[in-house]
Amino acid sequence: MADFMTSTHRAKWIFSPQKLVEKYEAANQRARQTLEKCGATLMEVDVDGSLSYPEPQTTANDSAEKHSRIKPLSIEEEQCIKVFYENKLQEVCKNFHFPHKIQATALIFFKRFYLQWSVMEHQPKNIMLTCIYAACKIEENHVSAEELGKGISQDHQMILNNEMIVYQSLEFDLIVYAPYRSVVGFTDYMKEFCNAGEDELQTLKALQNTATLEIDKMMLTDGPLLFPPGQMALAGLRTSNALHNVVDFDSFLSRILSHQNSMHTMAELQESLDAIDSWVRKYRSPSEKELKHINRKLKSCWGLSSHDEGKKREKKSKHKSKKSSNEAQNT
Amino acid sequence: MAELDPSKKVADRYLKREVLGEGTYGVVYKAIDTQTGQTVAIKKIRIGKQKEGVNFTALREIKLLKELNDPNIIELIDAFPHKGNLHLVFEFMETDLEAVIRDRNIFLSPGDIKSYLQMTLKGLAHCHKRWILHRDMKPNNLLIGPNGQLKLADFGLARIFGSPDRRFTHQVFARWYRAPELLFGTKQYGPGVDVWAAACIFAELLLRRPFLQGSSDIDQLGKIFAAFGTPSSSQWPDMVYLPDYVEYQYVPSPPLRSLFPMASDDALDLLSKMFTYDPKERISVQQALEHRYFSCPPLCTIPDKLPRPPPKKETKASDLNPNEGPIVLSPPRKTRRVMPGRDGLEGNSLQGDKIDDNHSNFKQSIDDTTGKNDPAPMSLDFSVFGLKPPNRPTINSADKTHLKRKLDLEFQ
Repeated sequence: MADFMTSTHRAKWIFSPQKLVEKYEAANQRARQTLEKCGATLMEVDVDGSLSYPEPQTTANDSAEKHSRIKPLSIEEEQCIKVFYENKLQEVCKNFHFPHKIQATALIFFKRFYLQWSVMEHQPKNIMLTCIYAACKIEENHVSAEELGKGISQDHQMILNNEMIVYQSLEFDLIVYAPYRSVVGFTDYMKEFCNAGEDELQTLKALQNTATLEIDKMMLTDGPLLFPPGQMALAGLRTSNALHNVVDFDSFLSRILSHQNSMHTMAELQESLDAIDSWVRKYRSPSEKELKHINRKLKSCWGLSSHDEGKKREKKSKHKSKKSSNEAQNT
Repeated sequence: MAELDPSKKVADRYLKREVLGEGTYGVVYKAIDTQTGQTVAIKKIRIGKQKEGVNFTALREIKLLKELNDPNIIELIDAFPHKGNLHLVFEFMETDLEAVIRDRNIFLSPGDIKSYLQMTLKGLAHCHKRWILHRDMKPNNLLIGPNGQLKLADFGLARIFGSPDRRFTHQVFARWYRAPELLFGTKQYGPGVDVWAAACIFAELLLRRPFLQGSSDIDQLGKIFAAFGTPSSSQWPDMVYLPDYVEYQYVPSPPLRSLFPMASDDALDLLSKMFTYDPKERISVQQALEHRYFSCPPLCTIPDKLPRPPPKKETKASDLNPNEGPIVLSPPRKTRRVMPGRDGLEGNSLQGDKIDDNHSNFKQSIDDTTGKNDPAPMSLDFSVFGLKPPNRPTINSADKTHLKRKLDLEFQ
């Protein structure tokens, strides 16, 4: 699909920074309320996308006291968890040798999903795997759920259980645009621009590779929810060009603008590229210690820490995996 | 989050009306969208616990139609899960081009044919501009709305093209609409395959019967060569390198005029350009739209004035005269339209069974009760090929067992 201009991506999924914060706040707030009401936040999801909230624990006398001990995650803490799993997502995709396109699609799915939900409501590990599975399907590079599950020793039924809620949370807008294609396109354009000979082709290749790595970093920030992929590609190329020094980037940019009948001015474009760079600079991976602490908190929000609950869920998942193996035999 | 709670949606937004058809995928019913007052068709797809999750065909259709917005492409209004089914909400369409072609009470003027072809090509041009191949062009996938607008539907086999070296399955299109390069097993192809199918549809509009009715893939090529002559290597240099290429005995091409005695010179010229053997030389959809056939008189009939059969909703099952039952003109569905995992191409992404499009199933189910063993209309002229008319495929009991088996496998 080469028509970003008329895409759902452009029309519905590029936000202002304020709007993003509002969305994160809304999801966090809802999870907090659920925690207050029910003492846990994790939702049960069914294959058909139907959801149920945790049941309020009314019987136990000590529930009120217990609830008050469980603290919800802050938005910043939620962000740390997402950062962790987004890195994991890239790792899993690399291990499976999936093309960049699939990794990027999965990442964008994951980010869009958690615009609608808090990590307290849906376990990010499961959602991450389902996003990878869905991205493979959507990009026509199908990998079976079983194979995917096996590759990382996870229950594949869980992947399938979450598939519908993922599509639904994406509002069924399943075609997404990643900057990688644009990098290739702009590099081709650069070839023409500087009338590249044999030697320059080598440097251009290196330039493209560095830019691609740069994009990998951007994809982990909020960038994909804030900027169109073309601008991210240009930001990647600009950084890469600063290293390889292939073209005069400003005149390259103005050439592009003049050719594309762009609605942006040069200054606007520069401003966007600077903003993208600053997102990459601001990006921070939480320390292991921090993560451990947040994860413990998160688990108690889910209601998985209490002894009873843990057992119940274990049984349930056993039951499910038995069922799925039966199904495998039948088909 | 309210919009993520689908339980209210059907009740809140869509008022259910009668069932329009039923097939392996589930049910299609008519409904009223209370938000807009618009009549819609809702396709219900069972979700169930399937090994490969949400149906591929449905996903392809959703992802592509969400991005396509054109007067000549069916509009997907909404998609949501509800009570164990995935619901796809489409604009309601009254009939389809196959019904128009086979309705012997309808006379199609040259302007009518031109209008139907132009709308087909406009829809296709919109797809190709966005790097989408339809891959299942045939008259009963071209739906016709209340105002006579023709729209491309059924994007369950459609996909994005243009990635270098990406290889596709050649098991696409109903056989009668399949381009020669596909029949020779090519894995790398482009928009030309849709152009060939559009040419078959053009021919069908002119002849009022399917043009090239092969009974097997080999026979299909035989029919093509009988109509246009065996291609020489100068006509189509790459042909001999195609994976399933076999040499056919040389037959000369009869004059095109003899096959389409009623067509204008412009129509024949466009037709021959769309039926060009070498896909690289074949006219593009955009070029076809710019062909003088469309700028010279007679002008295209405006959609509203196009002849079309009475809307389906008016026919009650009990009113149907068995002798006037519709005749299925589609080729028998291939038991496997796509070959899962063949050569490892496209992985097993195609193993999700094709959701049968609602309209053909609707028609087939009518056939079951009314027009089952209708003879072929005697007016058809097969003499040009010196052949007996092929058996007109209708859905028979064997097919039905097959459908049932498929159903059992899918939804246990």
